[in-house]
Amino acid sequence: MLQKKICLLGAFGVGKTSLTQRFVSSIFSDKYLTTVGVKIDKKAVDVGATPVSLVIWDIAGEDEVSAVRTSYLRGAAGYLLIVDVTRAQTLEVARSIQQRVATEIGDIPFLCLLNKIDVENWDIAEARFEELQQAGWTVERTSAKTGAGVEEAFTELARRIVG
Amino acid sequence: MSAISPTDYEAAPAEPDRNQRLADLLLEVARSIDPNAAMVLPKRLDDDPRLQAVRTVLLREQLELLTRLRQTIDDPEQLAATISAVLPHALSLSGARDERLSQVLAPTFERATQVSVRKDPGTLVNILYPVMGPAIRKALAERLDDTLQGLNQSLRYAFSWRGLKWRIEAWRSGSTFADVVLKHTVVFRVEHAFLIHRKAGLLLEHVAAEDATAQDPQLVSGMLSAIQDFVRDSFDEGGSRASQGIDSLRLGDLLLWCEAGPQAFLALVIRGTPPESLRATMRDTLSTLHRELHSALEDYDGDSTPLGDLAARLNLCLKQQVQPPERKLSVWLWALPLVLIIAGAYWLGLRYFDRQRIATYVESLRVSPGIVVTGVERSSGTWHISGLRDPLAVNTADLQRRANVDPSDLVERWEPYVALNPTIVLKRLRASLPPLPSVTMSLDGNTIKAQGGAPPDWIDKARALTKALPIGAPKVDLSGLTDVEDPEYVQLRGAIEGIRVYFDSGAPNPAAGQDGKLDQVAKDSLAIISVARRLGFSVRLSIIGHTDSTGKETTNLGLSIARSEVVRSLLRKRGIAPELLSVRGTGTLEPLAEGAAPDDLSLNRCVTLTVTTSE
Repeated sequence: MLQKKICLLGAFGVGKTSLTQRFVSSIFSDKYLTTVGVKIDKKAVDVGATPVSLVIWDIAGEDEVSAVRTSYLRGAAGYLLIVDVTRAQTLEVARSIQQRVATEIGDIPFLCLLNKIDVENWDIAEARFEELQQAGWTVERTSAKTGAGVEEAFTELARRIVG
Repeated sequence: MSAISPTDYEAAPAEPDRNQRLADLLLEVARSIDPNAAMVLPKRLDDDPRLQAVRTVLLREQLELLTRLRQTIDDPEQLAATISAVLPHALSLSGARDERLSQVLAPTFERATQVSVRKDPGTLVNILYPVMGPAIRKALAERLDDTLQGLNQSLRYAFSWRGLKWRIEAWRSGSTFADVVLKHTVVFRVEHAFLIHRKAGLLLEHVAAEDATAQDPQLVSGMLSAIQDFVRDSFDEGGSRASQGIDSLRLGDLLLWCEAGPQAFLALVIRGTPPESLRATMRDTLSTLHRELHSALEDYDGDSTPLGDLAARLNLCLKQQVQPPERKLSVWLWALPLVLIIAGAYWLGLRYFDRQRIATYVESLRVSPGIVVTGVERSSGTWHISGLRDPLAVNTADLQRRANVDPSDLVERWEPYVALNPTIVLKRLRASLPPLPSVTMSLDGNTIKAQGGAPPDWIDKARALTKALPIGAPKVDLSGLTDVEDPEYVQLRGAIEGIRVYFDSGAPNPAAGQDGKLDQVAKDSLAIISVARRLGFSVRLSIIGHTDSTGKETTNLGLSIARSEVVRSLLRKRGIAPELLSVRGTGTLEPLAEGAAPDDLSLNRCVTLTVTTSE
């Protein structure tokens, strides 16, 4: 089976781990996030007729972009940038992370996931999302709580990676 | 008319007659414009100087380009700058296409390296040091670990019997003792082998030993890779060993060994304590993989198909060494000693009980009156007992039976002797004297006492026996005996001794009318014999023949003997046992009447009887 390494990136508390907890195969506890700074999960998706095994590196969220271990990004075929729509600052962190990833490992496929869409008090204006799309970002809306958009996000990223 | 294309010109070779060809082309152009022009044009234009001008006009750009190229080629500096701009890419393309570039460059690089080393070896040392330094340190550390492991095991088994066996094996095989010890004692099992792409942290292949359990190999390999990165990021300080990541990790009985290659690293999960030679296996496997799959590993994009059958290669690392099972003792090895022990115990038991029985028997001999044990010894499985034994002592067979001793296990040698033990002396007296119910003999301390009534002759005999006892014999007290005559006996004795059987003169046979006396004598004799027997003794009848005083003395003596013989014969006929009868003739020597009167003579012609006691 085709394997691809993807990373989950985003500021602290944006819901990265929640996205993986319900939708992926996991054998490691969350304590790895606070010790090693990363937890490995796996999700199988189909891109057309091709089964793809996404090995997900759930990298511990840091508000300081520089704190993200770039060694964990090495070899990634794509990544998901998670943004908490109830905290505008997480979008700025995501932008910084994206720039850093592009610098470190080049332009690889990624999706920006606007998480917690089930919450009503959004802190980010729609116009900001349009700006991102105009800048070439693909923005998907997800809710780890309801599961909305999660499967589609993984499948879409796999599709972009496999081409 | 054909059209002229630029390619025609470009394709034209730069030959010496190019001026002629150019002239021909110009004429052709002129004719195409004005067919009449050819009539006025000269036939040969090759020497026309205007042709050079035309060429300059038409090929000005190409000529300038050629000029620059010539300058570039002719100027070494410019040529080097141009080539250096494309050389890396060209080398890369060539290297990716095939091995020819490497083959071509290899001799040059080898020579260059040799020249460099000859010129200054320090240069090569400086180049290799960052690579060789850690490698040498690692090799030394592994060798040291191996040596310590061997030393540890050697010391552990140095003085055991197993160690001695292994020393012999080492001597026979030519190996070192430590190697032989390691071979026999190191126990390990490689349970998992993970081949992981270093850059992506993705699992390239995973193989596991039979029955080994593990979580999802993809996730495990990802986490291993992450931890390697974590260690590198956390502790790497400028090219130290940490740059290789985790080398080994122990968790209880489980050991994780990692060996990193340029593109992939190999991780083994080992249970137990492996030998350092397993490291060499890991390195060999990785080295082979990188040599044979260099491009596929470098271009790995998550698809393991181009890598081929990695499992077969990794299976080489699934080594194990198990402790040889304790050799099960053959049934004979434990049964035989057991049987021997049981047999030995049984034999010892038999010996013990045998000895106990003999001891009991000998003790019973020692306490038996009339027996003196002088020697007891065991020889050739037989007990030899010797000593003195009075014939009247207890029968040893009875004692053997009571002590449960097998007579076949005994050889006894008894010398007869006369014991003075009171019991034996009493026994002897009892055996020597006719038993009398009216007499009791018993021991009173060291004295034998006889009590009761007994005939005088019995008492006389007892006294005679007592007097014959040797010095030291127990005292025999006969004072308790009383002389008792049986009335019936006395009456019968008187009746027998009072009868006279008469004879006619000169006749040996009884006279007429004497048969009734003979019948009476026979009857009384039988009765007294019976009474005497009842009283404990026997009697004998003496038949005494007599004659009168007439005739010759010798004749009378013979006649008296004949008369007694006749009476004996007649008594025999009347049932008296002949051995109880004795005859004696007296002739005229013991006359019953002294006178010579016919009555006196008649009285002396007779036979008388006397009763005597006998043994």
